[in-house]
Amino acid sequence: MSECIVVTSGKGGVGKTTCSANLGVSLALQGATVAVVDADIGLRNLDVILGLENRIVYDLVHVIEGECRLKQALIRDKRAEGLYLLPAAQTRDKNSVTPQQMRELINELKEEFDYVLVDCPAGIEQGFKNAVAGADRAIIVTTPEVSAIRDADRIIGMVEAAELPEPHLVINRYRSKMVRRGDMMNKEDILEILAIPLLGIVPDHEDIIISSNRGIPVVFDETSVVGEAFRRIGRRLHGEPNVPELDFSEGNGIWGTMKRWMGLAQGVA
Amino acid sequence: MTELFNRFLNRKDSSKDDAKARLKVLLIHDQVDLTPAQLDAMQEEITAVIQKYVEIDRENSVVRLERGDDRIALISSVPVRRVIERGLPA
Repeated sequence: MSECIVVTSGKGGVGKTTCSANLGVSLALQGATVAVVDADIGLRNLDVILGLENRIVYDLVHVIEGECRLKQALIRDKRAEGLYLLPAAQTRDKNSVTPQQMRELINELKEEFDYVLVDCPAGIEQGFKNAVAGADRAIIVTTPEVSAIRDADRIIGMVEAAELPEPHLVINRYRSKMVRRGDMMNKEDILEILAIPLLGIVPDHEDIIISSNRGIPVVFDETSVVGEAFRRIGRRLHGEPNVPELDFSEGNGIWGTMKRWMGLAQGVA
Repeated sequence: MTELFNRFLNRKDSSKDDAKARLKVLLIHDQVDLTPAQLDAMQEEITAVIQKYVEIDRENSVVRLERGDDRIALISSVPVRRVIERGLPA
């Protein structure tokens, strides 16, 4: 049974692409076959986060317009067996594709792959409609900020209007120190407002910037706490819904210091 | 002075409570598609209707929208001083 999951948020810059890339890698590392699709036509970025930007020949619009076969456009990620990227077009715009064409493309991908992850563009217009067109369910990414949660709430309504099942939430850029001193909304605050099930929490961490500099998704880094957060979310997606939440509340005290020494909690904000 | 004392004890108001309160109001406005001015006008009108029948404590009256799990509810708390002693309004 293959499944298409759209990763969306409403607001830009909350980490949709990072989340799509890392969950794609995580699922592939668990042995699944995965296609990650960049639906942000005109502003492609998933290729850069995955470090595959130099290998693009054809893109999603070429496939839809029949200029190449689907297999010619798929880029194989040599670091993770079973992972492929379908890049977005950079020189076209979102109106080059219709929801019906997306649906057909996703269905074709679902015949080949266990998971099709669609990285949705920001916004609620054509790009969003295209990205959700072929999806079986949605993951909403948000950060603990008023503007991001407001947009997430709007998008949850639109996902429901698109007749997808109840979406799951990823809270990104969580800063446990700020939460502890009451300067950031905590998990419970956010879940109370958005009222959808939590898929996982990703700490705000400098490893994310380092990994995007290098084009190596952080989930490949076995020593990284933020990589571990993504690995756990990936496991929850892939048949282990009860994997416990990562405890990144350490930071102060002896235990936190020891963990930092071991490099586990390094750079956690 | 109290503020200084509170800060010393790390008891200042946490900004996340501000965030949460603002967010709740925002989401209601987004959902009902009413501006804050329209909400104020509605509150005025509702209070005016109640005042036709009973004398109320306007200072301590609250009429507001609140978000529950799956719906928005109009919550009002209007302290009544006394019932106006006359027949039904014309």
